[in-house]
Amino acid sequence: MELTTSGVATLRRDRDQAAGDAEAADAALAASGDGRAFERLYRVHVARIHSLARRMIDSDAADDVTQDVFIRAWTKLGTFRGDAAFGTWLYRLAMNVILARRTTLGSERGRYDDSEGALETAARPGAAPELSMDLEEAMSRLPDGARQVFVLHDLEGYKHEEIAEMLGIVPGTSKSQLHHARMALRQHLE
Amino acid sequence: MSDAWTERLSEYIDGILPEGECVALEAHLEACASCRATLDELRRVVARARALDDRPPATDLWPGIATGIGLAPGAHPIVSLARRRARRRLAFTVPELAAAAIALAILSGGAAWLVLRGSKAVPTATTATPAPMPMLVNASAPGTNARYAAAVADLERALEQGRGRLDTATVRVIEKNLSIIDRAIREAQSALAADPGNAYLNLHLAEQMRRKLELLRRANALAGARS
Repeated sequence: MELTTSGVATLRRDRDQAAGDAEAADAALAASGDGRAFERLYRVHVARIHSLARRMIDSDAADDVTQDVFIRAWTKLGTFRGDAAFGTWLYRLAMNVILARRTTLGSERGRYDDSEGALETAARPGAAPELSMDLEEAMSRLPDGARQVFVLHDLEGYKHEEIAEMLGIVPGTSKSQLHHARMALRQHLE
Repeated sequence: MSDAWTERLSEYIDGILPEGECVALEAHLEACASCRATLDELRRVVARARALDDRPPATDLWPGIATGIGLAPGAHPIVSLARRRARRRLAFTVPELAAAAIALAILSGGAAWLVLRGSKAVPTATTATPAPMPMLVNASAPGTNARYAAAVADLERALEQGRGRLDTATVRVIEKNLSIIDRAIREAQSALAADPGNAYLNLHLAEQMRRKLELLRRANALAGARS
């Protein structure tokens, strides 16, 4: 039997619904202390959380931040009411942890050099073609501020006003940082 | 090459450039090949960014998380330096507070009694020589239960013999708290019967069993000090 487009969409919706139900059940089990249910939730969401941490902070701290997010999630599971999907709840928690960590790391490292010169040199491709970076690598070499605005806007879909509030800057700075990050990254297009 | 319009290309791509400026920029793009090329590159950057896949960590982080939340056998929470720094404040669970209250009540009662007795020698901590604590690696294992039951029975017998030396208020506190711990043990055992492989429940049960042993030993030590 051949499925129509609407049939495929229905199957996909049913599958998504089933996955959401299973996740809600696992969240409830984990909230009652079921470690295996919590591990299943970890397996589903770890790539999303780790990627967010790696892009927003850096790859060195991403493992530590990811562990921190899941440990906090375990202790806060009692506050998960199921109004939103577990993934949404976890993502918000992760973003809060990352923004708090960003502040700490930023002040410890003291490398908020977001000048245009820093942008140009940070994202400059290697001299030899074989050393050319992929976009993830190029992003990681951007100054913190430009990289975080780029990640929040172009990958995570936040608006400039939201980014400004999250990062403690004005929307105009967010727009400017985004543009300069994109300009630096375009050098890595094949 | 860049000009005044280059700086506005990202806003144009994102659809947030004011309408009047949009019209002017589009007119400029008709005539400026450099800006058209830059616009195309910026659009490709945005498209590439949106197409990025999430990647899992290079190593599995679950063992560290399981340890950090006490799910790994014999786990001692291992957390990041930043988290340890943030944990300067102490936090106790209700059972821990209850256990602390028990210990405080017993120690306070003992101290007051010793002060009142005055003339007798002050017993030191070495007066009571507790038996080694049975290992509670898997609290629900039959062998563990047998060893534990034997240790508890010994201590209960000793306490029964020595309870006449304790004042009634202290006995009342001990019995009340033993009853609380026993109820926690029964609830944990009941939950484990429904989910035998649950590491958290197993650890919770072991913790309650350890608390009971500790309370019995302290009570016996106190009774011994009053002999």
